[in-house]
Amino acid sequence: MSLRWKPAAAPASAAEHGSGASARFGDQMIAVLPRLRRFARGLAGSAAEADDLVQAACERALARAHQFEEGSRFDSWMFRIVQTIWIDQLRARDVRKEDGDVADERLGSDIPVRRIEARLALSEVRRAVELLPPDQRTTLMLVTVDGLSYKEAAQVAGVPVGTIMSRLARARVALQQQLDAGGGIRRRANIAEA
Amino acid sequence: MQKHSDEALVAYLDGELDSAERGHVEAWLEADPAARDRLAGLAQSAELVRGAYADIVNEPLPERLIAAARGETVPASLPPQQAEILVLQRPGRVATPLRRRGWQIGLAAAAGLLGVICGSTGTYFGIGMLAPSGAAAERQLAAAAANDAWLNNAAAYYKLTVSAGDTMLIDVPASNDPREALQKISQSLPQQVRLPDLKPWGLTFRGARLVVVEGRPAAQLVYVTDNKAIGPLTLDIGATTQPDIPPTFNRRQDVNLLYWRHHGHAYALVGRTDIGYLWGIANDVAWQLDAI
Repeated sequence: MSLRWKPAAAPASAAEHGSGASARFGDQMIAVLPRLRRFARGLAGSAAEADDLVQAACERALARAHQFEEGSRFDSWMFRIVQTIWIDQLRARDVRKEDGDVADERLGSDIPVRRIEARLALSEVRRAVELLPPDQRTTLMLVTVDGLSYKEAAQVAGVPVGTIMSRLARARVALQQQLDAGGGIRRRANIAEA
Repeated sequence: MQKHSDEALVAYLDGELDSAERGHVEAWLEADPAARDRLAGLAQSAELVRGAYADIVNEPLPERLIAAARGETVPASLPPQQAEILVLQRPGRVATPLRRRGWQIGLAAAAGLLGVICGSTGTYFGIGMLAPSGAAAERQLAAAAANDAWLNNAAAYYKLTVSAGDTMLIDVPASNDPREALQKISQSLPQQVRLPDLKPWGLTFRGARLVVVEGRPAAQLVYVTDNKAIGPLTLDIGATTQPDIPPTFNRRQDVNLLYWRHHGHAYALVGRTDIGYLWGIANDVAWQLDAI
């Protein structure tokens, strides 16, 4: 079975400028794939769902390559596509929570502690991130994990910088509470064991 | 934004405040031990989050994503990843005799000339004694052409690896002892990877990455050189269930590849150098690893 080009997905700019433009577009996308995967992992949670999300974003980007404005940041454009598809998926599943509506049933609750460790397990941190509302999670991944400035994150999210600031602060505080709750459990367990 | 708020502390940590706002926050921190504790907690949780996602950018890219980025589709019937990779059976390292080197360079030049002659076909076969003949050759070529998404990916891996220049993506750097790097990369693979010595070509082993070849985890060995006519080069070594094929030249994404399969292993030598050098180096690799 050989590879085939999908005419429907061929970017208009590539059609206009030839396969060289298409190849360069693909090269840009491949270069940003590692960061897109990390961003998507923070949003979607599981590795498989995250890669599905990135794949869908690649396909959408190719289909809408003509909408990319030359001179603007390609990575920001791709982040925005990933975010948009993810939000669409959440809406389709009807599980999207309102901004600020943290999953209270788990925040600060007694998460089972399988083992007593000196530091938090990475998976525990990721679980804490997954408990954040979608808007906060997106902002946290863009700014705290990927290192975008508030202005850049605002462009990706399509919101004012002030909204980024407030979402980020709420996300960081909620995350700290979540992690403190886990750490508190461990400390109590340590004391009891001693 | 309120001067004494979590927003102010987070923005302070992120370096997003102007000098006046920064001054306000610092004065607050100076006067309020609770604010300092709050700041420390926020900084620590941010570090934890960064650490929790740090390794993802170094994971090998799935073939399907590289294919998607190039507007291609990956065959749905790719073999699943299995733990049967890389059985390089010859223990110990084989020295490369100097006599052979002269023959090899001569062959490389000849192969380069032939590669130019055959260039318009896009495919080059190795010397006659290595190439199968007749119907068997046609079957093997058909099999090779039938599942060649990995060649696109090998080219993409190459470009991704070298595009960063001095900061090129390396999972396991060579450091002082290349064998140590090989041992580390082998920990992620079922079998020990052996390292071809390409110093006679002026190529220095820079390190290794984990990639995917024909749907299976594989090692990408990265070599660099000051000789711009040759390097940098990558050598991908993985396992395959496909039939053996002779060394075959291809060009993908402005990158040259010489690839072959031998006894369940897939090899791809990838770079921007010409076919003559690629052929000579591939011969050296095959001889050292007993790949042909």
